[in-house]
Amino acid sequence: MDEGVQKYKSTKSILLQLKDIPVRAEKDDGPEEVACVSNELKRDMGKDTMHLVSYQGEFLKPCPGTKEYICCGYQILNVGTNCPLDCSYCILQTYFNRPNLRVHVNLEEQLGQVFQTIDSDPDKIFRVGTGEFTDSLALDPIIRWSETILRGFSERKNTVLELKTKTANTAGLLGSKYRDRIIVSWSLNSPFISCREEHGAVSLTRRLECARECQSEGFTIGFHFDPIIQHSNWMDEYRKTVDLMDKYIEPEGIIWMSLGSFRFMPALKPIIRRRHPETSILDGEFVLGLDGKMRYFKPIRMELYAFLNELLHQWHPDLGLYLCMESNEVWQESMGWRPETSEGLGNYLDERVRNFFG
Amino acid sequence: MDIDNISELIPQPVPLRDIDDSPGPCCMSFGFDLNPLIQSIEKVGLINPPLLKRDNQGSITIIIGYRRIKALKSLKADGAGCRILSGDDILPVECLLLNLYDNLAVRKLNDVEKGMVLARLIPWIKTLEIVEHYMPFLGLPSNRATLSSYLKIEEEMEVRVRESIACGQLSLRNAIMLLDIDSISRSSIIDLISNLKLTVNQQRQLIEYTVDLSHIQGRPIPDFLDDQSIKEINSDTRMNNPQKGRALIRYLRMKRYPSVSKAERKFKKMISRLNLGKTVKIDHSPSFESPYYRLEVLFKDGQSLREKLENFMREDIDSLRDPWKKKK
Ligand code: SF4
Repeated sequence: MDEGVQKYKSTKSILLQLKDIPVRAEKDDGPEEVACVSNELKRDMGKDTMHLVSYQGEFLKPCPGTKEYICCGYQILNVGTNCPLDCSYCILQTYFNRPNLRVHVNLEEQLGQVFQTIDSDPDKIFRVGTGEFTDSLALDPIIRWSETILRGFSERKNTVLELKTKTANTAGLLGSKYRDRIIVSWSLNSPFISCREEHGAVSLTRRLECARECQSEGFTIGFHFDPIIQHSNWMDEYRKTVDLMDKYIEPEGIIWMSLGSFRFMPALKPIIRRRHPETSILDGEFVLGLDGKMRYFKPIRMELYAFLNELLHQWHPDLGLYLCMESNEVWQESMGWRPETSEGLGNYLDERVRNFFG
Repeated sequence: MDIDNISELIPQPVPLRDIDDSPGPCCMSFGFDLNPLIQSIEKVGLINPPLLKRDNQGSITIIIGYRRIKALKSLKADGAGCRILSGDDILPVECLLLNLYDNLAVRKLNDVEKGMVLARLIPWIKTLEIVEHYMPFLGLPSNRATLSSYLKIEEEMEVRVRESIACGQLSLRNAIMLLDIDSISRSSIIDLISNLKLTVNQQRQLIEYTVDLSHIQGRPIPDFLDDQSIKEINSDTRMNNPQKGRALIRYLRMKRYPSVSKAERKFKKMISRLNLGKTVKIDHSPSFESPYYRLEVLFKDGQSLREKLENFMREDIDSLRDPWKKKK
């Protein structure tokens, strides 16, 4: 842990949880001396080390998005970075100069500031999530975010908090008394991708069992097919996932489902090749997008989305389906409508929030 | 002896056979052409005496003047006037820095030599100091990723690859891409690069496409590069090297990006059906990512523009569509 973080409540509770783990206090000297001397990328990215830090940046920040594609206007609550899971496609792999599971232990103390921002704009709906720089629940049994952050969101009328995960760590959530304006969502993929590429994540069936439990315990749930990856038999494989969803989930209780095809900054490719030499996620036809990221050739993206859109639509016509970072052209071709602008997509999702939570 | 007083050392004759000229811990010379130096020594003799170090066992290594000793040896000289330090007088890191400053005062180091310098500094100097002080001094960006790449090239690359970098045939960026593949594959890629004298851009494409295709097809790179089609391009006597290079990259791109290549071909065909002449051009965006196409008209004045547009409008422009879409 960084010097000086002992004073935070969260630090104390984490240390209590991890009684048998060696702890070292040190100065945060910025980027660690990555083992560049021995010339090794930190292959494990420090996933076996938790680093308790006092985060000095803004805790609530709009998702960076891009003006070239339509984004949803999400807000990120920056609870920590890096993740104990190890999905081969994870964008966090490019942050190897900031290794370790970094937990922002001053979050609780800074939440007042976060809610001040939210309260200062009562007409705006703040769709907030913690799952951008980490898995929202992977460390919850230790950090217990579910004990500290739910209340403030649950009590406000102009916000929702989405906890995005690939784990089955829902005990903390289920034990809390807050349900209102809390969305628990799972990232899903085809069984093929899930087994081969989402290292450390629980099986799709387990994710859906947890989703069912959360649903029956009164939580609103969401799903994210992101990243959708083209692979052999991809249609049959994604169909299997939707069949599983049908088996476990009441579709009426789903607030939204995003679809996003695999995209990545060019710098991620060599890192994926080095860290996951067996992966097949880079096999597709990726071209340079207008935002500088590599993405599937446009007609391939259209085909992927159109297929899933139809499949999911057949399951239930009102799932709040939306595309993540796509153009109007791709929206129109694959979804049959287009939001025109990022604001348009934001309004669509805000409307879903109003319909679900009032 | 204080190293500040080295210039005061009196040169003394040293038999060349006593000097160890294997690239030692101070050496930062690689991929050089010895001939100009040989000619110079032949003409005017040795102007600057090399600086040597004699250790306690009596063996003599070079601190400064590696190339000069090499040149003298190839001239079959028996001995040379050299300044000699005793091993006790100077620390290894001082030898290294003396050689570095001496080299940088008279010439530019190539990328392999820069890697040699960095690798030799690592045991003696803190990484942060190397990054902040020595990398800019060598004309390199001051960051750890760059340091890492240079060290890897020094530690892991075979002589042949390093020679290609040193002579400027293989760009450093492309060499870094080669770090992630095995040495046999590297060697077969380098063969193609040097046989066809590929440009920097073509080298990058060759490496990227072959690495990807070998993953996709589950075949080792040398096996893949041994394909009949590639052999045919390589041995086609009707093409010169630049043509072969272009044909090779075209072929690999078609294999790697079949849908994109197909769309490009279809688009080209669609455009070729219109009679646009030489002054009207229609283009698609890179990889068709933008929804828009570009029409370019070259004209002299308003009237010629009108004529061209009228002619253009008479063409079957309704047939233009995204190449992956079916005809209406
Ligand atoms: S769960 Fe999310 S944050 Fe964690 S490794 Fe996978 S993609 Fe990255």
